[in-house]
Formats: sequence, C-alpha cells, structure tokens
Amino acid sequence: MTTSTHDGNPEAINVRVLRQDGPGQASYWQRHRIAYEHDMNVISVLQKIATQSRDADGQPVAPVAWDCNCLEEVCGACTMVVNGKTQQACTALVDRLLAENPAEIELRPMSKFPVLRDLMVDRARMFQALKRVKAWIPVDGYSDMGPGPRQSQSRQQLAYPLSECMTCGCCVEACPQYTKIELTRRNGETDEQFATREEEAYNRGFVGAAAISQAMLFNENPTGQMNADERVDALTAEGGIQVCGNAQNCVVVCPKEIPLTKSIARAGRAATVRSIKRWLDT
Amino acid sequence: MPAAGSILYYTLGVAGKTHPTHFEVLSFWKVARVNNPQTSFLVRHEFLLRRLHSLSGLIPVGAYMVIHLMVNASVLESAGVFQDKVYLIHSLGKLLPVVEWTFIFIPILFHGLFGLVIIKGGLPNTSQYPYQANLRYSLQRASGVVAFFFIMWHVFHMHGWIHASWWIDGVAAAWGGAQFKPYNAASTAGMALQSGLVIVGYSIGVLACVFHLANGIWTMGITWGVWTSAAAQQRASRVCTVFGVALAVVGLSAIYGMWQVGHGEGLEKARQVEDAMYASKRASGVLEDQPHKRSHPPASHTENKH
Amino acid sequence: MANERVLVVGGGLAGLAAAMRLAELGIQVDLMSLTPVKRSHSVCAQGGINSVNDQTRPLGDSEWLHFDDTVYGGDFLQHQPPVKEMAYWAPRIIDLMDRLGVTFNRTPEGFRDQRRFGGTLYKRTAFAGATTGQQLLYALDEQVRRWEVEGRVKKYEFWDFLGPVLDDNGVCRGAVGQDLVSMEIRSFQADAVVVATGGAGLIYGRSTMSMVCTGSAASRCFQAGVRYGNGEFMQVHPTAIPGADKLRLMSESARGEGGRVWVPRKPQDPRDPRDIPEGERYYFLEERYPTYGNLVPRDIATREIFNVCVYEGLSVDADRQCVYLDLTHIPADELDRKLGGILSIYEKFQGVNPRTVPMKIFPAIHYSMGGLWADYERTADGGLVAGSPRNQQTNVPGLYAIGECDYQYHGANRLGANSLLSCIFSGLIVAPGIETWIKSLPRSAADQPASLFDTERTRQQQRHDELLNRSGGGENPYLIHQQLGQTMTNAATVVRHNKDLEAAYGTIADLEARAQTCSLSDTGNWTNQNVVFTKALLDMFPLAKTILQGALARDECRGAHFKPDFVLGGIEAEDPAEQRREAEAWCDRFEAKNTKWLKSTVATLKSDGEPELTYEEVDTSLIPPRPRLYGLVGAEMIEEVWQQRVAQKEQSPGNGQPDSTVAAS
Repeated sequence: MTTSTHDGNPEAINVRVLRQDGPGQASYWQRHRIAYEHDMNVISVLQKIATQSRDADGQPVAPVAWDCNCLEEVCGACTMVVNGKTQQACTALVDRLLAENPAEIELRPMSKFPVLRDLMVDRARMFQALKRVKAWIPVDGYSDMGPGPRQSQSRQQLAYPLSECMTCGCCVEACPQYTKIELTRRNGETDEQFATREEEAYNRGFVGAAAISQAMLFNENPTGQMNADERVDALTAEGGIQVCGNAQNCVVVCPKEIPLTKSIARAGRAATVRSIKRWLDT
Repeated sequence: MPAAGSILYYTLGVAGKTHPTHFEVLSFWKVARVNNPQTSFLVRHEFLLRRLHSLSGLIPVGAYMVIHLMVNASVLESAGVFQDKVYLIHSLGKLLPVVEWTFIFIPILFHGLFGLVIIKGGLPNTSQYPYQANLRYSLQRASGVVAFFFIMWHVFHMHGWIHASWWIDGVAAAWGGAQFKPYNAASTAGMALQSGLVIVGYSIGVLACVFHLANGIWTMGITWGVWTSAAAQQRASRVCTVFGVALAVVGLSAIYGMWQVGHGEGLEKARQVEDAMYASKRASGVLEDQPHKRSHPPASHTENKH
Repeated sequence: MANERVLVVGGGLAGLAAAMRLAELGIQVDLMSLTPVKRSHSVCAQGGINSVNDQTRPLGDSEWLHFDDTVYGGDFLQHQPPVKEMAYWAPRIIDLMDRLGVTFNRTPEGFRDQRRFGGTLYKRTAFAGATTGQQLLYALDEQVRRWEVEGRVKKYEFWDFLGPVLDDNGVCRGAVGQDLVSMEIRSFQADAVVVATGGAGLIYGRSTMSMVCTGSAASRCFQAGVRYGNGEFMQVHPTAIPGADKLRLMSESARGEGGRVWVPRKPQDPRDPRDIPEGERYYFLEERYPTYGNLVPRDIATREIFNVCVYEGLSVDADRQCVYLDLTHIPADELDRKLGGILSIYEKFQGVNPRTVPMKIFPAIHYSMGGLWADYERTADGGLVAGSPRNQQTNVPGLYAIGECDYQYHGANRLGANSLLSCIFSGLIVAPGIETWIKSLPRSAADQPASLFDTERTRQQQRHDELLNRSGGGENPYLIHQQLGQTMTNAATVVRHNKDLEAAYGTIADLEARAQTCSLSDTGNWTNQNVVFTKALLDMFPLAKTILQGALARDECRGAHFKPDFVLGGIEAEDPAEQRREAEAWCDRFEAKNTKWLKSTVATLKSDGEPELTYEEVDTSLIPPRPRLYGLVGAEMIEEVWQQRVAQKEQSPGNGQPDSTVAAS
C-alpha cells in the first residue's frame, strides 16, 4: 500500500481518524490519504485533510474538527490520542510516527472527556478542578502594594516546573483512575441547569494530577501558603487525592515533564499532616 | 460475581484487549450517589476510608502476614519449634478469637472488600501505556483480588471459617475445610498441603499476597507522603523489592516445610513430637483437654502408653 | 446603575488584566474568547517583561530612560504620553505580577532576577524561565477564575466575536458572538466592549502567531467603522524556527543570555558548524554593531539576517534561508535554568539539541505594532489622566481596544519584552476609564431597545446561513489563505518595494473576489470550523489591504517598515569637511522625512471595502525625535551635527521642550 520515493520516504501517508459528528453520537473510523512532506507534524496532517476535504476513497467529507492554537506546545489545546498515546498533536512529528508504524497514523479524541466533535473534546472539568483546589493567590487587591515576597532560588526552581502546566489533559487521559464523566441533557433542562448539574458532577469526580499539582504550587508560594489548609481540605474531599492509584502514567505522558508524582506525594504528606493536626488540634 | 469479573477484567487489561474508549465505567461512587443523592457515608468519608484501607494493609494485615509466614517457615527448623509457637499463640485462650477477629479477620475483610470497591473505580490501561508503574498498578489490583480469594479459601481450608462444631463437622470437613488442628499443628497443616493443586494454589496465593504487600508499602509511602521525589520513590522501590523477594522466600519455604512434614517419615516424626508436647503440657496442667484442637483420630496410642 | 456589564473580547494578557480589574471595581464582566483563555496566544511570549528595577537604577536607569528606549526603538511613531505612563507603571506592574504568584527567576538573595533584551543597555527584563508570557497569563487566568467563582466574571469560551452593536448615535452597546460548538449566534448587551484580540499574523499565512491570531475581530471592528492605525508596521522577529505549519519563535532571550548569530564565511560551508573555527565564522551582528552586538533592535537584526542570506548569499543551507544562533559556548545547566523552555521547543520540533549544536533560525512575522486606533487623555506633564474614559477608547464611543490589537505603544517597532508590559498595562488602565464611562451613560445597554440587538444578530445569522447554503464547487478557503499568506510574505515582510506592493495589492484584490465565492466542505451546523475559518479569511482582506496600502504610501524607512529605495544612507566621504557636509545634508533629509512622515497612518474602511488613509500628527512633545543611528556608517558625525542642531533649537525662544536624553550609541 505504501509506496516509497527514491529517498526512502513515502509518497503519501495513510491517516485513520476516529470521527464523531456530535455528543452522544456513534463514532466511526475514516481513512485519509495525504501527500508526504518533510518536517510534518499531526497539525499539518490535519491542515492538509481540511484542505483536501476528501477521504482516502476520494469521497467529499467535512474537514475533521480539532482543537489547536499555539503549535509550540505551550497552550495545551491540541491534545489527542495519536497512535494510541495521548500527546500534543503539534509535537507529534510525522517522521517519528511513521517510524513506529509506517502503515498509518491513527488519531482518536481523548477518551476521558465528552467529545464535542471528531477530535475536539470538552475539558471544562479540568478547569473546574482548578476552581475546586482554589488554584490562585488570594491577593487583597490589584493596587500598588509593593513587590511580592522574596523567594529563594531553590523555591523558584521547585515552583517553576509546576507553573508550566498548560491543562492539556494528558495526565488525566492516561490515568486509570480518572474516568469519563459525560452527562446528557434532560428534557426541558435550561443551559444554566445543565451547566450546574455538570459542574456538580465534575466536582465529585477525581480532580486529577494537574489540579493536585497546581494546589501544591500555590501551597508552596509564600502568600498562597496562607490558604494551604483550604487547598488540602479540597484535596481530601470527594474525588480528591485519595482516588489516586499510583499508576504514575501522568508523569510519563506529561509533555512538560512536570514532576506530577512528586506533587501527588507532597499533597499526600500535606493531607497526612493536616488530618492528624485536625484530629489533635481541633 | 465481582471476583470472576474483576479477574477476567484485569487479565484482559494486562493482555491488551480492553479499549477504554469504547465503554465507560461507572465508578462505585456514582452508583452510590444514584442510590442516595444525599451523598452516602462512603462518599462523605472517602478520604478517611481510603487512608484506613491503606493503613490496614500494613497494620495489622501486612504485619500479621509477615509474622504468619515467618512462624510457618519455622517448621523448616522442626515441627516442635513450629508447635511451640502455635502453643504460644493459643496461650491467649478465650481471648484468641477476639484478637483474631479484631486484628486479623475484620481488617482483612475490610481491606479486601473495600479493595474491590476501589478496583471498580478504575480503568486499567496497561495495553495503551505499558509503563512499569502502570503494570504494577494493574498487578496490585489483580494480586489483591487473588490474595483476597486465596485468603478466604485458606481460612476455610485450614480453619473452616467458624468454630461451631455443627459447621466444622457437618459442613466444612465435608468440603475439605478445617483441616488444621492447632495441637497437631505441623502434621495437620502438612497433610493439608499434599495435593499438587493445593500446593500450586498456595504458592500463587502467597506470592500474590507478598507482591501486594511489598508493592502496597511502596504506594503507601507515596500516598502518605513518606517518599516524595522521583529519586526517593526509586530508592524506596528498591527497598520494597528486596523486602518482597525475601518475604516470598520465607512464604515459599513455609509451604515447602509444611509439605515436607505432611507425608511419610516426616509426618510420623511430627506427630510424635506434637503428641509428646501435648502430653507434657497436659501433665504439667497448663493445658485443658481440647480434643477439637487435635487431629482426628488423636494419636491415641501415644497417650495410652502413659 | 445596578446591572452594568462590560464585554471583554479576548482572554490574553490584556483581556484578562481588564477583566480582573473591572471585576475588582465591581463591574460585571462577560469574557468572550475563541479558545479557553488559558490557551491564548500570550502563552507564546517567552523572554520577559521590561521595567526599570533596583538592579538598573543604581546604574543610572530610570522610568524616563525606559520610556526613551521605547520611543527611540519605535522610531518615534507612537504618541508619547501613553508610553511614558506605561514606563512609569512598569515597576508597579511587575510588583503586582510578582504578588500574583508569577514564578520569576530569582537572584541568590531572593530578589527578582533580570536579563538584558534588545534595544537597551540595561538589564531591565524580569523573566520566568523562558515562558514568561505563559506565567504572566496564568497568573491573570487564575485571578479571573477566582472572580468567576465569585460570580463577577462569566466566561464565553469557544465563542467568536462577530461584530459590535452600535446604536443610532454610533455608540457601542454590545456585540454579537457565535458559539463555536453549537454555532448559536446571539447578541450581548454591554455598556462597553473591550476588544483585546491580539495581532493579525495569520494574514501572512505562517508566522510566529497562534492559530487564533487571524485579526478577524479587529477587522470586524474596522468594518464597523473603527479606525485602524499604522497597519503597515508588522514586526518581523529575527529569530524563528522555520516549520511547515508555523514559524516557531526562538526568543530574543536566547541572545539576551549570550547567544551569538553567525554564518560561515564560506557560503554554504558543508562542515558541521562545530568544526568551523572561530576565524571562519562571520559574527555579522557583532562586527557591524559593536555596541549592541547581537542585541540590536529587532528590525535591524531581522534586516541583517535577511541581507546576509538573501543579498550576500551566506545562508547556512542552500535550499532554505537560515543562519546560526549559537548557544553552545554557554554551560548546559545554565541554559536549562534560564532558557529550558525554548530550548526544549527547538529540540522537540527539530530533533536537534541546541545546547550542543547551533540552532538554525530565520526571521518571521511576529507582532502587529499597528491596530485599532485608540485615544488617550493627556495630563499637562505628559502622562495619562487616570480614569479618563478616553483612555484606550476607539473612535466608536464605548468600544475600547487594548493589547496587541491597539496601535498605541510600539510605534514603528516594538522593543523585546515591552509587549507583555503594554498588554497588562492597557488592560489595567482601561478598567477605571470604563467605570467613568459607564457612570456617564444616561442609559445602560440593558435599557436599549431589543430591536437594536436583533438587527445585528439577524445580519450575522444571514451571513452565516448564506455561507452554509452556498452550492459546492467554489473556491477552497484554505488554498486562498495559503495564497494570501504567500503574497503578503513576499511583498510586505522585511524588505518592501513599491512595485511589489502594487502587484500584491492587485493579487489580493483578485483573491478577495475569489474568496467571495468560497464554498464550504462542511455545511453542517455543529462545531463547523470550516465556516468559522472562511469568515475569518474573508475578514483578513480589509486588514491585508490596509497593510499593503499603508506600506505603499509610506515612502520612507521607519522601524519595521523598510524600503531600500528610501534609505537615508550613511556617510561615504573620508575627508572630515566633506563628512561634515554630508552629515548636514543627512540631517536635512532626516528632518524633511520627519516633517513628511512622522505621522500615524490612520485607515478607515470605505463602503466599497477599500481602506482610505489619513495621517495623524504624533505627540512627540516629551522626547523630540532624533535619528536612529544603530550601526550606521558615519554615525558619530551625524550625531555631532544633530546635537548641535538640538542645542540651537533649545536656545531659540518659544521652544520649551523638556530635555531629551540621548541614548548611548
């Protein structure tokens, strides 16, 4: 099937995409065939698919919907399951994928989030998790109150990797303890009612590695530390850190190489100390 | 049956046949919520329960298992040494059942049953992400299920679950249970471990328990925040591996030791020693006659000589 | 007014800063963004954020010098009061971001560390690794999330801004937006609309900008009557990694931390760069600009790299243009600490380790200095009136523009690490102004007749439906976009010639006509990215034409706008007297050029879809324009002549301009 040019590169690439026309609808595979070029990534593959708008059999098809933005692996938008692994489409280089499997490239949407369409999913639950753990510095206000607290280099070096988390969702996609929550709208339910119900459901699900790590980031900040207990309490509520099963896939698949399992263990320690203190002191 | 389902499920997961994309697993929590929208007890105390589960795996269950395997392995030294230790345990007398239930059976039941609940909340994906820690995640669950049912069987096989005579004599014995007699400890245990099938079952069961404990200690250290950095976790993992291998040797030695005293000359010798010890304890008055703790028929010829 | 609402369009640094500050002032905010705000293009900014600081002050630095560097770097094309205000706010803004938890790099004593950036001689740039934009954006994102929990901010993510709603008096009363998932089109009532939608890099096809940077929101405002300023000033970043889908930024901080730009002296030297001895390397920036070296302003670095490759034929590769950016002389652990983020990007996308092998880079379109025209209210001493509703307001009352999509802060060329500052600054100052504006409104948007919003909503719905209902067989929007990008890149990037610009204008008019007949490959009404892209493409043309027309009309060189036919040139004479005469003539030409061209281009869109250009005087009352002489032959002599002229002017009566500070050259 795959013909090669004289320099050993294929003339065309086969791409198999798991498509879904909308939430709750059945998914189906679709094959595409696109011309090979040097230095392609999955984004440029999808761009080509959109441009030609025809499947491998030459039938006209709607372009595959997918999410992307920066194409530099700092925005976190383009996460998808490429050849079975969750990753950013922008750093999924075609040459490397073809080395793994010359026959085809397989693209699937993330499996832990509701599919909006094709490769585009709704990761609202991850942002909700940031609300749950109060992932912010509760400053008094935004007027001029001088610099922030001084911090040691070692503290900055501890915090910086955590602050690179782009909420891309790779960690939770690969997590066996993070299961999909997808609600369907009830008859006569308004947007607000549905959103509220969804939020409640998200608040009960596992928060996931990204949010746990963010909680640790803010607990490490000299100002954020003042509210450390609140964050730890959030982490020990329903769907909190206790759900973690230490499969540690999160840390392997994280594109920013954030020490997520360290954050999880630190959160575990904080929870241990907090529980004992609460038992003894209050 | 959750058991068969779970084992099958994990086997499939490890063998790479499940595709998490295609089905959604409702966690136990969600089921609980549907039943009780006011958030169930389990949900409200999820953290505490999970931590208790984690703790119970080490203390008392894990600690008990280590002692248990070491005591049993002492049969390698001699049947008498092992019998001595059994007498020591049984010196608790009427307190023994209380101690057993409080520190062994209830914790094991809690750890095992709650473990099944935890397993139901996960969705193993080792085929997609065949990383080492992820394999251990799946193995931890699989070994937990194996260990739980092994222990259930083991307790039935040796002790018959409950000590009511109508049950022991009427039901358990008929189903091959309650074979262990504490005052003929090595010989009865040994006799129970003669069939190849039983030996294989015990070996798998013991190895599952040992892996579950050793890996459980490692994950527990993360859960409680004892070792946090990747390097520390690596070091801890090495220590846990050494511990696990050592404990596996102890456990398998115990099985071998029991098998050895369970047939032929070894069995004869063991019985003689056990009966002699019994007789001497009776003679010195430290022991009441408890025929149900002895093998049937008791080696009466030894007794008759006196 | 109880139910005062503001619609902020765009959730990058500027939009989030505005939303956060508005929420603090007690104003209800609707925040609309094409993408979850945390994924906005601001995350791509790498290097840092500028302000005078405790490290530079003892060396003689001041807010005024930061202001001076900014206008000098911008070739004096920006109104000075907003820039001055920004420079004076800068230290406070960085303090605020520090308080919000930004993980700025630290000195051993625990203070914020600073690095040096282009166009300045001071270490004025605070940074958080090599992902400063990401870190700053996250800090604001977190604060806005906090306000979201409080119920003060409501986010509309995955929503497209389709256009403002203006009442009969031309006052902005809200906007129409479209849900990119359900495709629902609805109107938003707002007492003020803040457009913070960033740059328009996608007009050039591939650039360093993110995929949302189509300029469509700015274009829709432009089409609704908002003026567009200085469109022709597009910054080209000197160092980007060429790629098939995008040109990825390689931060100026790579040079700030000591990175050296060079090419082999022998054209297309086939040797491994590491095997080429020092003597055979041409460090062309260091040789031509001994003072600034590799840290000359961006327009100059860009042009030199372009020259070396295109005109001098010294490109490293034969089949594509590129030069080396070399960090290999810096210890790897230091690189990881200070530049880890960007180096891993290079490694991930190129598969080569930049710690041991020099990177290959080439210039790419990077930033729109121009943008929606915005107003300000000036104080007597040349700052901004705090809380003035005119600050950042466009010519449409109630419609505000901030961040990269306004035209105010960077003139003809932006200095590195000033964009993050201008975005946050304009976001913060717009809020109190809007508060004043809302208080001055006799009636809130909620009291406007429903028909006002219905009309605009219906118009947008019709445009949408018309596109979906087109029969097949028409033009392919993606191919048209590629051609648009190529045309713009060829004609209006680093070097501009009038004949190319004219030709490009014709090409683009053709493309626009063809784009009108685009047919869609997806005619569904659910998450239809095809129709959204086609609309954005159609809206690129007004801005593309504005860029070309502005560039064509502006017969001079200024900042990023470079026309070889209008270069002032250097001094060629050897003889001192002759040199002096040439310098005098040079200064005459320079003054004549400023008289004619030191003006902002202000475009309005006529009803026939063609931009019309007018020119606006620039407020240069604080720092008089002076020649930008980086690396020019005979710069010393020109400088001398110029200083004498300045001295003469100061002596002449009725000329009360404040002292200008002359940057070292």
